[in-house]
Amino acid sequence: MSAPLMRIEDLAVSYGAVPAVNGVSLEINSGELRVILGANGAGKTTIIKAILGLQKPHRGSIRFDGDVDLLKLKSHDIHALGIAWVPEARQLWNTLSVLDNLRLGGWCVDNKALVDKRIQEMFERFPRLAERRGQVAGSLSGGEQQMVAIARALISAPRLILMDEPSLGLAPLVVRDVFTLAREINRMGISVLMVEQNARAALKVASWAYLLETGQIIESGPAAEIAGKESVKEVFLGGRA
Amino acid sequence: MDLFLQQIANGLVIGSTYAVVALGFALAFTVLRVINFAHPEIFMVGMFAGLVAGAQFPAGGFIGAVMLGALGAALVGFVLERTVIQPLRGRDVLSTLIGTLGVAIMLQNGMAIIAGPDPMAYPTLLPRQSIELGPVVLTVRQLANFGICLLLLAFVSFYVRKTKLGRATRAIAERPDVAAAFGINVGLVCSVTIVIASLMGGVAAVSVGTLYGSAWAFVGLLYGLKAFTCMLVAGNRYFEGVMVVGLGIGVIEALVTGYVSSSLKDAVAFFVLIGVLYFRPNGLFGSYSH
Repeated sequence: MSAPLMRIEDLAVSYGAVPAVNGVSLEINSGELRVILGANGAGKTTIIKAILGLQKPHRGSIRFDGDVDLLKLKSHDIHALGIAWVPEARQLWNTLSVLDNLRLGGWCVDNKALVDKRIQEMFERFPRLAERRGQVAGSLSGGEQQMVAIARALISAPRLILMDEPSLGLAPLVVRDVFTLAREINRMGISVLMVEQNARAALKVASWAYLLETGQIIESGPAAEIAGKESVKEVFLGGRA
Repeated sequence: MDLFLQQIANGLVIGSTYAVVALGFALAFTVLRVINFAHPEIFMVGMFAGLVAGAQFPAGGFIGAVMLGALGAALVGFVLERTVIQPLRGRDVLSTLIGTLGVAIMLQNGMAIIAGPDPMAYPTLLPRQSIELGPVVLTVRQLANFGICLLLLAFVSFYVRKTKLGRATRAIAERPDVAAAFGINVGLVCSVTIVIASLMGGVAAVSVGTLYGSAWAFVGLLYGLKAFTCMLVAGNRYFEGVMVVGLGIGVIEALVTGYVSSSLKDAVAFFVLIGVLYFRPNGLFGSYSH
């Protein structure tokens, strides 16, 4: 069996004296869509930030593509390996236009014509963005901003996309579209590691799920199996008030 | 009416210099989160580098002096960024503020030791003659200063809006973490930003030295305070806002000089600052919340 695309082992991150993630181990294979479920403050975003080099862990390892140690790299080098990010609450460059946001998504791609071609593909996929290409990103609706955030992540043709609570703050209809889109991206062959609170929707699109509670993984397994667990139903799926 | 137009023109000339120095502050503060109090002293170094070039290599003329002024300022800016700002970046604003203030004092007093504490005569790099533009009379030096500053402002506007590196600069200004996660080398862009700000300061400094015919080790003090005030009044969200405020404060100063009293001139910027911040604490054009 081939090595996973990314393997995290015994990851521990603290904010000062406060531990946020403690001994987390997980992995994702090429072409998979995995989800980390957890409540607010469980440590989901901290794991994403550690992968991206934005938060230094004090223990553990994160290996990408077999033997690349992400903890030894700077953020901008990590992106160049093929890891893109759809941040929590979109975090677009609000004063820049939609087009400029997408151009910056292709920062690491040297071939300008290729970036332009991919931006054009994104405009075909999201015609609303094509109409608003010159508009500053901060003036778009939440759903449109999420489209920009996803398109921005796709411009560099990544191998792995980290999606941090993509449903956060969106209308229910838009949430459905976002999860459908996550599945489509995954079907394009891109691995997706998603962190979410919306367990019901996330477990429908993921193949594997991790349950995170106070910085530790308490359950993991195939998404369908996790969805059937009583503990998950109670906490995440509204099985018990 | 003639006095009014004349003072507007005089105000635009001096205001354009404030705008250029203020942009240097704004670039450093917005992109690096650093209040670079050494920036006005880099302006001063540029002025003296231009003086040396004009005095020692007169064949180079005004252009040669501007180039050496820009080079000298850019070099000092680069060294400052590498040795003081970069090691302190990411810490609280106060650390870098004190660090750059220390460099400012060193540069100021170092230059006072080398060149003396009194103003030095600037070489005659441009003719003194005046040109009549309808009811307004401006000297060649004033026109050159205004033209150069406008070119610098246009350059910054073009750079941040139309170039790849400029877009990255704005991205870092707004969300440095996201910029880094999308592959932008934040440290490198910060270095480039400080060098560009210093280079602009150097160019403007030679022009100002030529305009007033003197260079002074403590010239940065007044320009620095005024320019810093311009940045606070504008807010740091839009670089163009800083330019507009710089020009505006120059014009108001000139009108106060013409119609009220020249002794109130230097207080104008601070009155404007208090007034604006009372009603708009984030500045006229808004600020990033870092």
